[in-house]
Amino acid sequence: MMKFEPISYEVVTVGEEFFSDDFLIKPEDLETFAFAVDDHDPWYFEDSAFGGPIVHPVMMGNQALMMRHSRYIIPAGLHAKMHFEFVSPMRVGMRVRSYGKVIDKYEKRGRHYMVTEFQTREEGTQKVLTQGHFTQMLFSKSGVHEHAKNR
Amino acid sequence: MPKIDDSIVPGLRLPALKKTITQRNIDYYSGVRPHSIHTDPEWAKAKGFAAPLAQALMSTAYVSQMMTTWLGQGFVVGGKISASFIKPVLSGETLTAQAVVKAVEQIDGRCYVSVECWCENSQGEKTMVGSASGFSDHIRQPVLSS
Repeated sequence: MMKFEPISYEVVTVGEEFFSDDFLIKPEDLETFAFAVDDHDPWYFEDSAFGGPIVHPVMMGNQALMMRHSRYIIPAGLHAKMHFEFVSPMRVGMRVRSYGKVIDKYEKRGRHYMVTEFQTREEGTQKVLTQGHFTQMLFSKSGVHEHAKNR
Repeated sequence: MPKIDDSIVPGLRLPALKKTITQRNIDYYSGVRPHSIHTDPEWAKAKGFAAPLAQALMSTAYVSQMMTTWLGQGFVVGGKISASFIKPVLSGETLTAQAVVKAVEQIDGRCYVSVECWCENSQGEKTMVGSASGFSDHIRQPVLSS
């Protein structure tokens, strides 16, 4: 059984690995994403240059970002940087899972950050679909973010 | 033989995308849950924000839309986005995503184009800055230079 603990700069360790739950990409997921970002490109619903519809290239980004939730309680956090590399198109009906590893953590101007590299792969074939890395800010113990003071 | 599009030169500006981000857009994007700075207004307030925040990653979707519309398959396979999120975006704000060609190079005999991209809010403040790139040998929707 998993034991969850509040995330902090101190408990995150460079080298620790995460993975997401697997996710079956369903037609309704494309509709939801299209509405969320107001992008109803026919490539996602009708046909594309790849023969048949594909999935929005960044649609599974949240699966990667949420990997740390499989171990930690995250009261709040801010996403600082994102790097995507699109390797192979995703399609409806694929079952996908993201794998990640913490490759750095650092303090800058009094703020704490963690950097995670990731790959999103098709379950079974382990074919890499998307990869990259992202940087997330860890909130201070008070949970109130400095950026928020003038918002 | 892949075609080289001579009209793609540094300085070429892609058509801007304007997006007003409603709370409903955020709810669909992030999934509604309590104790979320994206979908729980009281929690966002407790964390110091005047309203729930749009997920920063939504801005990468706007860049992806611009690049997929323009480059098509050359972005979907072999494309990249690098983004730094420099200012939070609150529910209800309107963002404009923009991109300008910075470099055109040959990679393995194929033409590869890089753009500088950013999103700015209605006050003209940049909320995201970064770059995106992809192969331009199967242009889907040409960009007309102004």
